[in-house]
Amino acid sequence: MLSNFRATLEYLGGERDDAPQLLAGRFGGLARCAVWVLAIVLIYAFCGQSSKFIYIDF
Amino acid sequence: MLCQPGEHTHLIFNTFSYYLLFLIPSAALYRLAPGRLRPWIIVLFGSGFFLYFAYGMAGFWGAACLLIFLWESLVSRLYRPCSRWCMLGIVQSVLLLGVFKYWNFFTGLMFAHGANPVRWQGAFLPLGISFFTFEFYHYAWDRRAGKTEAGTLGEYLAFILFFPTMVAGPIKRYQDFLPKLRSKPIGWSQDWERGITRILVGLVKKFAVADLLTAWTNHLSAHDILLADRRILPLWALAYGIKIYADFSGYSDIAIGSAQLFGIRVPENFDWPYGRRNIQRFWQCWHISLTRWLIDYVYIPLGGSRVSSPRIYANIIAVMLVSGLWHGAGLNFIVWGLWHGLLLAGHRLWRQLRGEPSNHPVPVFLSRVLTFVLANAAWPFFCMDLHTAILFYRRLLIG
Repeated sequence: MLSNFRATLEYLGGERDDAPQLLAGRFGGLARCAVWVLAIVLIYAFCGQSSKFIYIDF
Repeated sequence: MLCQPGEHTHLIFNTFSYYLLFLIPSAALYRLAPGRLRPWIIVLFGSGFFLYFAYGMAGFWGAACLLIFLWESLVSRLYRPCSRWCMLGIVQSVLLLGVFKYWNFFTGLMFAHGANPVRWQGAFLPLGISFFTFEFYHYAWDRRAGKTEAGTLGEYLAFILFFPTMVAGPIKRYQDFLPKLRSKPIGWSQDWERGITRILVGLVKKFAVADLLTAWTNHLSAHDILLADRRILPLWALAYGIKIYADFSGYSDIAIGSAQLFGIRVPENFDWPYGRRNIQRFWQCWHISLTRWLIDYVYIPLGGSRVSSPRIYANIIAVMLVSGLWHGAGLNFIVWGLWHGLLLAGHRLWRQLRGEPSNHPVPVFLSRVLTFVLANAAWPFFCMDLHTAILFYRRLLIG
């Protein structure tokens, strides 16, 4: 379970290219859609006070 | 909602205009275009991107800095292995950075006891200059060493004006970029699914973690430090440590994901740096493309590890001082670089004296905690001017 969770995080973070079991199985497409929806909800919820990226000033 | 176009052009990756005006149309056109036109699509949209955001940040003269790209690209056509033109390219790239970024800092140090008569009142920093200087420098150096081919003008301009990485990296290498530019992009749906996922992950890091911590990091000012209970100060510094990680790794995720929409892979920048067991591993996993650049173009030319032991330590500290000064024209950044230089030198000395580290879980855990604490303890020098950072530590340690 934990290794699957870690693999999912690594996949989302770009560390690995092959989709983990959680995102690749029979319901993989649905799970990937859920990840996008969750991300969009989080972005929408927190984007009200966005600021400049720190490294743009360097 | 993301910020509206034109409202905050300095935000760049967290604006709709970045996605709607630049990323999606250019990536789609790039994939549909024949091979000979692909570099020019990047050049066209990269120029538009620079003009749009640089004008928003620094007005006409900021946008006019596009001429730096064009001038440098024309000069680069003269580069040959062992040629003096390459040295000229290196010198002019460093000079440009020096004038724009460090003129007021160094002349201010020269006239420390009075008004600076040569102060540049209207000084501004061209968008992305610290990063594109690295790419100019790398190309000139590697052409001189015969490590990379010239490519065409269009290919070189595409390398320099590739807008997903133009402003803050990851810092690319020409010899890695060129084959990807020349090959036909395949796997459209897979690249777009992975790229969009990566962009969304980056935006979540920025909005839901980094920006949320601003409520704490805003307190890192002289006024609040003087008023605060000293027990809260480490939490503010820790908040900044998490914020800058989420902010910059989120930025890198968006840049890497954006590049993937073109079918172009660019270097990774982070690999769980805060979980590393020593400061050397931390730097191998934090801003990876910068660390590699500094090793290849500063540390190795200084002699690297093939010189006497004292010189090696001096080289390590010198590289980190360069890194500190590159991050900003301020004494605080020099102290931040010195801090990390001393940590890296201390780690090397420790390894020489004690040999290979133990793999027992307890020392491994303790070394991870120690690395995390020492890396985070340096952030006050990064995010505040020197006087305020010293005040922070005086309040924290003395009261």
